[in-house]
Amino acid sequence: MDRRFFLQVAAATPLLGNPVDEPVYRRVTRFQPVGAQGMPGPYPGQVVRVHSEGAIDAASDKVHRDLVKQMLATGIKALTGDARTEDAWARFISPSDVVGIKVNCSGAPRICSSPEVVAGIAENLVAIGVPAKQIYVYERFDNQLQSVGYGKYLPTGVNIQAAEASRRSIMGYDPRTYVETSFFGEDDTRSNLVRLVSETLTKIVNVPNTKEHQAAGITGCLKNIAYGNFSNVDRSHRYEKTNTLSFIGTLAATEPVRSRVVLNVMDGLRGVWHAGPFSEHAKFRFYPKLLMFGTDPVAMDRQLIDLIEAKRKAESAVSLWDRSPKHIGRDNTDPNINHYIREPGHVEYASKLGLGVYDAAKIKLKAIEL
Amino acid sequence: MLLLLAALPTLFWDGAADTAPALREAGIRQIQVPAARLAEWKNVPDISAEAADLQRAVKLLAPTVNYRMDQASASRAPWLISNGWKFLRQPKGRWYYDVPGRQSAIAAAEAFSFGANAMVRTDAAGLKPLAEMLEFLGSVNTDPLPPIADIGFIDDGSSAAGEVMNMMVRDNLLFEIVAKPDPRFKLTARLGAKEYPLADAKNPGVVAHAIRGNLTDEKRSVRIYGSPVVVVRLTGSGGKVRLQLLNYTGATRNVDGIRVRVLGQYPQHQLAAADSPGLELVDYSAEPDATEFTLTQLKTYAVIDLSR
Repeated sequence: MDRRFFLQVAAATPLLGNPVDEPVYRRVTRFQPVGAQGMPGPYPGQVVRVHSEGAIDAASDKVHRDLVKQMLATGIKALTGDARTEDAWARFISPSDVVGIKVNCSGAPRICSSPEVVAGIAENLVAIGVPAKQIYVYERFDNQLQSVGYGKYLPTGVNIQAAEASRRSIMGYDPRTYVETSFFGEDDTRSNLVRLVSETLTKIVNVPNTKEHQAAGITGCLKNIAYGNFSNVDRSHRYEKTNTLSFIGTLAATEPVRSRVVLNVMDGLRGVWHAGPFSEHAKFRFYPKLLMFGTDPVAMDRQLIDLIEAKRKAESAVSLWDRSPKHIGRDNTDPNINHYIREPGHVEYASKLGLGVYDAAKIKLKAIEL
Repeated sequence: MLLLLAALPTLFWDGAADTAPALREAGIRQIQVPAARLAEWKNVPDISAEAADLQRAVKLLAPTVNYRMDQASASRAPWLISNGWKFLRQPKGRWYYDVPGRQSAIAAAEAFSFGANAMVRTDAAGLKPLAEMLEFLGSVNTDPLPPIADIGFIDDGSSAAGEVMNMMVRDNLLFEIVAKPDPRFKLTARLGAKEYPLADAKNPGVVAHAIRGNLTDEKRSVRIYGSPVVVVRLTGSGGKVRLQLLNYTGATRNVDGIRVRVLGQYPQHQLAAADSPGLELVDYSAEPDATEFTLTQLKTYAVIDLSR
């Protein structure tokens, strides 16, 4: 190991033939925290939710682009308190930054970070002086990213880049920045950071969706930051009892990721309330028609838990928090059957790593209707 | 201590001498033939023939990977079919493969990397890949170097012990067969010992996991990250080590990058990779405890010499 690297945690790697309850993590990174920058950022415990009934037409699945632009402007200004949209964005990003827009395409093309939202963010970045060539829309898997067709929506010159041009290629990952752990005795014990993040980007705008996740309970800000920026993460959910509880927060809190994610814009125009993160069954899609804004991913994901839980309740499906073995099975076309024991507690776990505020009583939600 | 002698495998060909043009065109220059065909092949120009008897050799499995597509988990480990443990158990054995097409190249590289005395029987489609691999293997530095092993394994000759050795080869747990505990190794393992009860051998993977756990990953002389289908052989002495890397899916697909960690500080390196001229190691790091690098692509087989 390079001695220049900052070894954040040193611990032996456990090796067992069965999944471990409390994995031991070893973070290897040369990056130090950057002051107060990054999660939970300047607005801990604060979430702005902007809802617009006209933002998307549920019948045609068509997004109203102008309304989305208004939602973006309203939300960012409500978060910072600025009167001008440009001033609000300029609190997070400067023209010299190289900005990554971390999209989520795991359910693409049916559900993903909407091109209209992503393009709206990129346009705001260009408007405050960030050259288009310094903006990267990125994701881990090229086939998923390409299926969306972001290029048709984005300002000319914005880069679209995947970490894995061919599936499971390691070349898009930084060999010197990784989290090492053994969940069940797997031989490849490293999860490496996307190389674009460590070598090119200076700031990241995180754009997750509003989705249930079969293993993690929900997939919102934290999971998009964590599993969307590191390799070899699906090993955390090989068995019914997964290790998503602690792995998600651990990855998200690893430098330079923690410092570089400066803003979260959660795209809740569409949602998935069961069998996520994919969207193979139309009956599990729904339309929250909202965007959420914040620098605190924990507080935002806390809202997402409530959103998905309420939808599941309305559909008479078991709670995200249910851990009963009788609800574990292969046929998850039944909304009361899931492949894994869900771990929505990963959000609270992340709060204990200093990533944000979980206590609902301490979260300040600003709800805006357009 | 056994030195790893890198004998070149040979094509076993039972076709008549009138098939010589196809062999020549593929680049085959040396063959072994059934005794009954030796006379006709002796008069064929540019191809040297010797008699061989497959009945006196042990047939090997085709080296490959079974992805077990019936098991729908992306993280499920693929099943490598490797003959490495057989070579280690019987280093003086006489072997042959019967493999079609591009598997002939993988077979030749597997036998070569384990220093096995093997013939490769193949079909017309396998001639050119085999010839190209043999040409590459012939160009590889064959200075004999002793194997490097972390584990001394007491082999009782049972099929259960064989399966444990098979798992260790596939998992890149470097071992040498020993008759009794030997302080040269970081760990000695024997099936039936308290730490490795015979009952566990019903699932040899459990025993291999236990051996790995007792050894610990930190003490493993070599680690491979990024692919579960690459098997490594490590030899060396006197400040020099040689890694031989074999992609068991090489007949059908490349491995797009692997990260390699070798214990010890080796600032110098030399790479030779089959069918990959100009390939280089990247993100190279030689620290006092370990050397790490990335091989950007592994088509079938590569040899990397590291030195101080």
